[in-house]
Amino acid sequence: MTDDLINRLAADLEPTPPRTIERRLILALVIGVLATIVGVYLVLDLMMGRPFGGADSAMMFWAKFGYTLAFGLLGLAAAPVLARPDGRIIWPLAGAGLLALIALGSGGMMWMRADWSMPMLMGQTAMVCPWLIVLAGTPVLIALLSALRTAAPRSPTLAGFAAGLVAGGFGAWTYAFYCGETGMMFMAVWYSLGIAMTALLGAVIGKFVLRW
Amino acid sequence: MQADETEMRLRGLMLASLDGDATAYRVLLADLTRYLRPWFARRLSPAHASHAEDLVQETLLAIHTRRSTYDRTRPFTAWLHAVAHHKFVDHVRRYAIRPTVPLEDDAPIFATDDSANAADRHDVETVLSQVPPRTSDLIRQTRLEGTTVAEAAARHGITETAAKVSIHRGLKALMGKFAGGEK
Repeated sequence: MTDDLINRLAADLEPTPPRTIERRLILALVIGVLATIVGVYLVLDLMMGRPFGGADSAMMFWAKFGYTLAFGLLGLAAAPVLARPDGRIIWPLAGAGLLALIALGSGGMMWMRADWSMPMLMGQTAMVCPWLIVLAGTPVLIALLSALRTAAPRSPTLAGFAAGLVAGGFGAWTYAFYCGETGMMFMAVWYSLGIAMTALLGAVIGKFVLRW
Repeated sequence: MQADETEMRLRGLMLASLDGDATAYRVLLADLTRYLRPWFARRLSPAHASHAEDLVQETLLAIHTRRSTYDRTRPFTAWLHAVAHHKFVDHVRRYAIRPTVPLEDDAPIFATDDSANAADRHDVETVLSQVPPRTSDLIRQTRLEGTTVAEAAARHGITETAAKVSIHRGLKALMGKFAGGEK
């Protein structure tokens, strides 16, 4: 019976080039980000009337640009390793946590100097910002999770978390182009929250859909 | 040293398989079956021993469908172990939630009741202690344990006739004591 199985599997064999997982993930990321760019344009620009261009302060725009992209890239470093049955990696996840702490620390310092001003923390859009980031990250998350379904993660939850981190990072990155907030503390709290929520969403979904 | 040789051989086969060599792949899978079957059998409890073959097949299937997750620069045996371990843990979880026992294994629990036997045995010993040790031994061996009279006699170093007489007298004495006289 096992011999039959071996014969069937051998007949089904097709060449598997090196780095297949990495290439699948990159392809999924590109498709997801393109879908996110279109989706964010439709929802934020056309439906909510927010112009493309980001914050008035160029410095703050680049801070958001770099901060969100860093999460996306950290997740991208972890995802292919966590997609393997023998994959263990911790530094990108620890790095993401550290990055959020640094942002909260420096944002908190600025907020303290501004005498804990509530408008500085809340801006105009604090209540919608994290949700819109999750929404913006959804296409990337779907693309990455479906790519990971062909993989064999040691921990489906952790692999889903890494996919969520990539999705949250790139979703927030796209969102930053339409976000007019200028507060450092705003970014440290609400952007981080949106990215964290996307990552947790990925972990919860991954726990179920990435089983193998 | 031997582990290194195994690793080298299996990894060579795996790399050839990934490049599409079906012959190497068949050799690899057949080899792995031989390693995996005892590996699972050792880890399974006796109740689940029959699942070893299923687990071997599930692992082979996972090796096939997930072969793209093997990183060519890393040891093959580590990857294989991770796949097999994952399948084993999966099995343990599935059966830990709902432990199941085949029906035919379950039935014999009620088939025999040991306590009555034990009580009977205790009574017999009490009765037999009423006759000389050699006689009680002979009765026990021939009537309870199924030894033939010749064997029992040989064990005690007496003739078969003497054994028969001894058993007969012993039983007669016991009947006299416990059955209210000879019948």
